[in-house]
Amino acid sequence: MAIHERSLVDPERILRKERLVIDGIDVSGDWNLIILPRVIEDYDLSFLDEVLEQPEGKTILQCYQCSYCTASCPVHNYWDERYNPRHFIHLARLGLIDELQKRADVMWRCVSCHKCTHRCPKGVLVEEVLKAILRVMAKRGIIEEYPSKKFDKFFLESVYEYGRIEDGELLFGWIEKQGYQVVKDPVLKKPIPFMGGVPEWLKQLAIKPIKNMNIGFLILNAKHMLFHPRTKNWNRFKQVLRKVMEEEGVFAH
Amino acid sequence: MAVALQARKPPMGGIGKRVAYYPGCSLEGAARAYDVSTRIVAKELGLELDYLEDYNCCGAMETKNVTFWGTMLLNARNMSLAKKQGHNVIVAPCNGCSFSLQRAEYFLETDKKVFERINSLLKEGGVDPLTEIPHTYHILEWFYHEAGPEKVKERTRKPLKGLKVANYYGCLYTRPHFYARTYSHTGTEEQERPRMRETADDDEHPYYMEALLEAAGATSVEFEPMHTQCCGGPHSLSDEQVSEKFVMMILQTAKRNGADIIATECPLCHASLEMYRHRLMMKGVPDVDVPAAYFTQLLGIAFGYSAGDVKLKDNLSDPIPVLKRLGLV
Ligand code: SF4
Ligand code: SF4
Ligand code: SF4
Ligand code: SF4
Repeated sequence: MAIHERSLVDPERILRKERLVIDGIDVSGDWNLIILPRVIEDYDLSFLDEVLEQPEGKTILQCYQCSYCTASCPVHNYWDERYNPRHFIHLARLGLIDELQKRADVMWRCVSCHKCTHRCPKGVLVEEVLKAILRVMAKRGIIEEYPSKKFDKFFLESVYEYGRIEDGELLFGWIEKQGYQVVKDPVLKKPIPFMGGVPEWLKQLAIKPIKNMNIGFLILNAKHMLFHPRTKNWNRFKQVLRKVMEEEGVFAH
Repeated sequence: MAVALQARKPPMGGIGKRVAYYPGCSLEGAARAYDVSTRIVAKELGLELDYLEDYNCCGAMETKNVTFWGTMLLNARNMSLAKKQGHNVIVAPCNGCSFSLQRAEYFLETDKKVFERINSLLKEGGVDPLTEIPHTYHILEWFYHEAGPEKVKERTRKPLKGLKVANYYGCLYTRPHFYARTYSHTGTEEQERPRMRETADDDEHPYYMEALLEAAGATSVEFEPMHTQCCGGPHSLSDEQVSEKFVMMILQTAKRNGADIIATECPLCHASLEMYRHRLMMKGVPDVDVPAAYFTQLLGIAFGYSAGDVKLKDNLSDPIPVLKRLGLV
């Protein structure tokens, strides 16, 4: 018997013999395979309530488990079949928290391409729902700080501070967060792109505009790195941003 | 299969020749070539961009994962600024920006509570509350419907003859239909969508970019389904393995289908393609050396502008040799 979505079954619950003969008939092969049933006792329905509280999570109940989202998902198809949006929704609704936790290592890998949301026949905002699930998991401490979340926060800090982001600062700031030795000038403490222990590919890319004598480009970006572009009249607005983010617990975790 | 020529929508107009222009942070920094060439193309096509003064970052696909209300506020502020400048239409050249604004539009329009709360927060932050919600269009949609292929043809002085282009739309230009308001032009897929917009591109088989570039003399190569495959986007810095694989698939498909160049319409897709192209080439991965250029740069060249005018040197993937070979620059 073929097992649909086999990756969802724990390997230790699949029993299979090399050879099996019953009443003198050899039934080896796919016919001698048994999946042990299991009883679920450890569900927690308050998880679903918390997802529903998030503005993005509201559509989770519309899902009828058709799996169109999973079939469309590039992370599922081209990266890791354990990444399965349909299944994550299922687990969240059942409140199977330890099952979600087992998948925490892949759950953050969604690239926000919205193929799932776009194609869902039931109008579930799948990508948004998944992010709502992740947020509840983070709140409950069942998923560790993952790389994309670190980046999201890093990005948000910049927006919050200046109202705008600056590509160079974002890139080198992130590289530095990865543990690379970014050399900075002593006065303004801004990164010097071609020095220090940054990855080779980045050095080579950063040097291209110089090789090309692309002066205008260099001046513009150097200027932006020195004086971060800002939105005017930002301060008052920033207070309001801070307020709503505090309510959402952004600064807490 | 791509949408057949006969099934393509004719330009409909109705968006307005003068709109609020929301360039986004990238276009004023690393992607200035896109900004400069966009302005050139708009001018040539007789359209007017009114720069949105004092805008703030839309939050892209990053802030929304951390704060729903914060991201709504960021976008509502921009909408309010557009209204203040007297516009009902915002045009953004970036998939990320148009996505964020359209997402905010969705929640503001469909959830009264969100609308009311955001308005009171805006007031608190010293920004005019929204009485009406302006609509956001991707610049491609605007170019297509307010100018269209005919106008492009008319303006073309140096046709992009012999240039084989892979048109790369990225994910968020057409997805999700809840925000982008796209639908199936051929009626092969589900068509009744409550918020669909007549002028929006085909959802699974977009063609506005190729229609414009073909009018300028270029040839499009077959590029489905990679034309809307994700490049890794918001994870291009935080999840390098996945992004590298996605970009590899995109570049190899383009190359193997005979493309000379990849045309892009989003600074994030563009940056991520160029960055990983470089890294893949350093690793010696085969068939990844197709360079990328913004579609507006290619249109600019066709309109008779020089490589310097459209800042082709800014492209780290260096498309100049390819264009030189065909005598275009
Ligand atoms: S496509 Fe929609 S309905 Fe189907 S499984 Fe995914 S979320 Fe559920
Ligand atoms: S948005 Fe995420 S879950 Fe949805 S298809 Fe894309 S990668 Fe998969
Ligand atoms: S999508 Fe990117 S470039 Fe556009 S405004 Fe947002 S952060 Fe800036
Ligand atoms: S292709 Fe990449 S950068 Fe472009 S819209 Fe998609 S995720 Fe964003």
